[in-house]
Order: sequence, then structure tokens, then C-alpha cells
Amino acid sequence: MNATLERLLRSEREFAAGAGAVPVGALALALVLGGATHGLALGSFGRNAEQALYSALKLPLLLGLSTAMCVPSFYALNAVLGLHRDFTAALRGVLCAQAVVAVVLASLAPVVVFFHASGVSYRGAILIGGALFCGASLAGQWTLARHYRPLLAVNPRHAAPRAAWLALYWFVTIQLAWVLRPFVGAPGMRPSFLREHAWSNAYVALANALLGS
Amino acid sequence: MLGLWTAADKLLRGKWMSREDLRVGRLEVRTGVLLAVGATGGALYGAAMGLFGVMRPAHATWKQVLADAGKVPLLFLLTLAVAFPSLYAFSALADSKLRFLETLKLLLVAIAVNLVLLASFAPVTAFFTMSTTSYSFMVLLNCVFFALSGAISLAVLSRALHAVYEPPASNSTASSSAAPAKLAHDDDKRLHSREPSRSARPRRVFYAWFAIYGLVGSQMGWILRPFIGAPGLEFQLFRERQGSFFEAFFEALAKFLVGR
Repeated sequence: MNATLERLLRSEREFAAGAGAVPVGALALALVLGGATHGLALGSFGRNAEQALYSALKLPLLLGLSTAMCVPSFYALNAVLGLHRDFTAALRGVLCAQAVVAVVLASLAPVVVFFHASGVSYRGAILIGGALFCGASLAGQWTLARHYRPLLAVNPRHAAPRAAWLALYWFVTIQLAWVLRPFVGAPGMRPSFLREHAWSNAYVALANALLGS
Repeated sequence: MLGLWTAADKLLRGKWMSREDLRVGRLEVRTGVLLAVGATGGALYGAAMGLFGVMRPAHATWKQVLADAGKVPLLFLLTLAVAFPSLYAFSALADSKLRFLETLKLLLVAIAVNLVLLASFAPVTAFFTMSTTSYSFMVLLNCVFFALSGAISLAVLSRALHAVYEPPASNSTASSSAAPAKLAHDDDKRLHSREPSRSARPRRVFYAWFAIYGLVGSQMGWILRPFIGAPGLEFQLFRERQGSFFEAFFEALAKFLVGR
């Protein structure tokens, strides 16, 4: 297990850049286990086992569903730009990057638990969780860049689907995280899988908050 | 005792982190030695720091000396214990030559250097503690010594990380163990001709380590406080656990900005 994770982080052998078969099983396992570990840590705020369990289920869902929703348009854009021959290599990169995000999130779980145990406020816990998620996502970009380097060397047009993937992935992830909230669990609220009125729009809520309507 | 002195001297002279060894991902030092040197250095500085608790007019107590002798090494080592999984993940992600144990040793070397440097400031701290009654001055002085020793140990760490990413002297053509799967194109050689920038990787690892260790270390310092012991307050081993270093910092900053 450790050796597999190490190969994934280092982009070696079955996880190396290239067009070989995508190791979907290993990547999915890393995504589910890594996401669940970080979810457990996030849900540990307030020491409520039920919330921790919900968050452990929701974080892999967040990572997996956002990836699944963006792959079709990623394929379409690659095809339109005449890059379909490289699609397997690009997909390997995207999926390896997502698995790396999950593994890095798992490695940050002790940091989250430590902050929760040291008496950080709810707002502090949300901020720490958000900052660490951004950090793990940046780590994923590291892997994506490693996979895209040989592709870009051959055809600079690969830059477009890569940028489109990033923009769409973040756009979808923010909304999905909004729908799947709470991950931390606000004090005084009952643990729940989803909030009441979960199906609202994060961007509209943000605009309303900023414009004060 | 003499063994510890010799070990601390070797540590400061960089005997355990030769460039040749780092280039092949090796550190010829035992973890136990680093822990012993670091813990002793931290305990010495902690004792000097806690002297203020003995010298203050009200609630004078030796307990602050004993508490700080334990708390200063713990501050660094517990921070490492919490942060190490993620520090290692970022290192592996950057394809570092250092494996699990070697990464731990490198971080312990940096921490031990920091604590030994702090110990070298202990006589100065003790002297000022005995010659001043200003709590604010002692807080500032300790901050300066922590910052100085921290900056030097970070420079040591940065230099070591750059050496780790240099090609081995004896075998500069050594290739990665990674064997990338074949790409769809015919011109594979051209595809792999652009190696990732080797100088960027140690910098990225260093910044990631600095951010994570700094984040956890700040909060660890917050929960292990008090270190100096404010005048007028009775001795406490730990203050009540609430809030965070960052919340307290921004609260203080906001108060300062609105002039309260």
C-alpha cells in the first residue's frame, strides 16, 4: 500500500506520464481512502462521530463526482482540437492528479485533527480546512503538470484543454462542495448528511452576500 | 555529556549532511542522536527562558524553568510529529531522492540545528532575565532569538534540499526508476526531452514545508503557552485551550488598527 502511494506521489511506473492503460482501480481506491481519511478529520470538529462519518462519505464523493462531471467536456474539447490521440495520456494525468489530491489530503488529516483538538473556533476550522484543501489541490497541479509536460512538448495546443479542465473543475467543485456541505459541522446544529435547502447555488449566495440582498 | 557536545559540534559543522551523501539521498546519522542533541539544546534554552518565572516579584517559582525545559523541545518535536506525513507527501510528490527515514532525519537535523543555536543564546537570555524586570522586553528578546535561530536552520535546510536534487557526482547520467508508458506519438524521445526544472523542485518543497510546519508550529506554540510567565499571573503549566494563534493575531491586529 505504502509503496503504491509512493509511486503515485512520484509519478512512477503505472502512474508515470504516458498513454498506457489508466490504473483506474488503484486511483479510485486512493481517492476513496484518502478522501475518507480527510473527511473523518474534518468531521471530528465538535467530536461528533455521526458528522465525522458523513464527512468521510462526502469528501470522496466531492472529489469523484466533480471529476466525473468534468471528464465528458474534457474529452469533447480534446477531440475538437484534434488531440484525441493523446486523450488517454491526458486522462491519466487528470485522474492521477485527483488521486494525488486525495492522498495529500489524507497526509494533512493529522494537521486538521490537531487544530480541532487545540480548541480552534468554528470559523477557524472552516478557514484551516479551506486553506488545506487549496494546498492539496495545488499539489495535484504538480502531478498534472508532470503529465502534461511531454504532451505540451509535442503540441502546445494541449494548454487549452488543460486550462479548460482547471476552470471547469474549480467551477463545479465549489458548487458541489456547497451542495454537499456541511463538512465540519456547525456547533449547535444537528449532524446531517446534507443541509436543509442544500440544492441552492453557491455563486448566487456569494453574490447576495456581497451585494447585501 | 561529552558525547552530546561532540554530536552538537558535528551537527553545526554539517558533518552529517555532506553534499555527496545528500546527492544520493543518504544521511549518515542516527535518529536517536539527533533527538538527544535537539532535546538537550531545547531544554537548556527553555530553562533560561523560564528563569523569568523565578525572578519576577510576585508568584516567583522554579516550576516555570522545569516546564519550559520540557516545553521548548516539545514545541518542535510535536510539531514535526503532526506535520511529518504531509511534509513527506510533498517531498515524494517532488520526486525527492530522500526516502521516508532519510526525510525524517533531514527534518530532525534542521530542528536540532535550530535548538542547538537557541541553546547557544541561553546565557544571553539568562543574563537579561536577571537584569531586567520588563516582561515585554523579554518577550521581544525571545522572539528575536527564535527568529534568528529559525532563519539559520531554514538556510541549512534549504541548502540541503538543493543538494538532494543535484545529480550524483559519480553518475550524472543516472536516470529515474520511472519507466513512462509509451505515448501515442512516434517521437517519444522528443516528448521526454524537456526535463522538469531541477532547481524549482527544492524551492517548491521548501516553501511547502515552511508553510505546513509554520502553520502547525504557530498553533503548537499557542497551546503550549505560557513560556515566559506574565507578571501578576500565577504559574500555569498550560493555559486554557481556546481559539488559535491566528485568531489571536488578527484580533490583536484589528484592535491595533482601530486604535483600541
